[in-house]
Amino acid sequence: MQAVISAIEYDLPEGQLTNEMLGAEYPEWSVEKIEEKIGISVRRITAKDECASDMGVRAAEKLFASGVCNREDIDYLLFCTQSPDYFLPTTACLMQDRLGLPKSCGALDFNLGCSGYIYGLGLAKGLIETGQARNVLLITAETYSKHIHTGDKSVRTLFGDAAAATLIQSSGKAELKIGPFVYGTDGSGGKNLIVPTSGFRTPRTEESARVDEDEQGNLRSQDNLYMNGSEIFTFTLRTIPKSVKELLSLSGKSLDDIDLFVFHQANKFMLEHLRKKLSVPEEKFYMSFKNYGNTVSSTIPIALKDAQREGKLKSGDLVMLVGFGVGYSWGATLLHWV
Amino acid sequence: MTQQEFLRELEEVLEADAESIKGDETLADLGSWDSLAVMSFIAMVDENYGVTLAASKLASAKNVEDLIALLGDKISNT
Repeated sequence: MQAVISAIEYDLPEGQLTNEMLGAEYPEWSVEKIEEKIGISVRRITAKDECASDMGVRAAEKLFASGVCNREDIDYLLFCTQSPDYFLPTTACLMQDRLGLPKSCGALDFNLGCSGYIYGLGLAKGLIETGQARNVLLITAETYSKHIHTGDKSVRTLFGDAAAATLIQSSGKAELKIGPFVYGTDGSGGKNLIVPTSGFRTPRTEESARVDEDEQGNLRSQDNLYMNGSEIFTFTLRTIPKSVKELLSLSGKSLDDIDLFVFHQANKFMLEHLRKKLSVPEEKFYMSFKNYGNTVSSTIPIALKDAQREGKLKSGDLVMLVGFGVGYSWGATLLHWV
Repeated sequence: MTQQEFLRELEEVLEADAESIKGDETLADLGSWDSLAVMSFIAMVDENYGVTLAASKLASAKNVEDLIALLGDKISNT
């Protein structure tokens, strides 16, 4: 009995942050140059009182409204976020109630960023194929905008808020639909993408809230998101091509067997460089960040949904998914799209 | 690759005029050596030299000579 992705829906908040708006705030900034480099025009931003879980609930409601399954049939909810409603209680538990999922449903949060979708699929597959669940709802949702200082161009230009809901079900058949998986972790890179005071290690104080200017003229405090872009880029160049090769060798496939590559949609600069390094033809390498920015754990499901809508992802296609980022954490898998 | 070829590549990364970089500049002299330029430089070196530079080593480079030194014997003096 194999697990299979039955449906994906996503939700974007109404707020928008366009390049024109950023250009007006940062007069020294060249809108054209940045757009050319990162390929992002618009980021969607949650309202002050709008949480990751709110978008996640809306994305799941779209799934139920589509008729693909009933809420009563969901027997496990996996919620991937680094922006929970609370440290406790578990946000997934609150979402079980808000979505009207059965009380017999398992629910948990897991904290991962840009690799989260791959790990979520791995967990869902494990639950289904060991007979612990039949209909797993995987929700990815993130609001990095809430961590970002408005004076920090280095991250404000890249990240957008979004959520996606993916239904993973038992196919009732024996053919492999999701997998195999390659995972990886290197916690020595944790300091390069971090909100320093986001937990108990370094508590928030008046001092931690003090805003400093870095060498590039970006403003942030210890309470904000910090990203060392060149370290993250180097990590990606060293890790991802190796993971792609590992996955191909594990699955006995060649690069040519893959119909579509859907990588974590970080930005144009990074993806274009990875694509060239891996020698993947442009038409097989999907990109969908222009109107959303980097939405962390939701970039891959949003890209899958968009690719399907555009006819670039068809039934029977073999798709390679690769997620990488904060942690460092990475993962890759193959989908046989149904 | 020669030092001259490297300087031409560096000009492309920085979108500087051709033959404007002589090799004795500090990175601060090159007005456009910002975080985006650093990323583009890493990408260029990865693509053209097959070397993934350590970002921390690059961060401590102060002048063009330091950049050349990072590539060691991949760049000849001639």
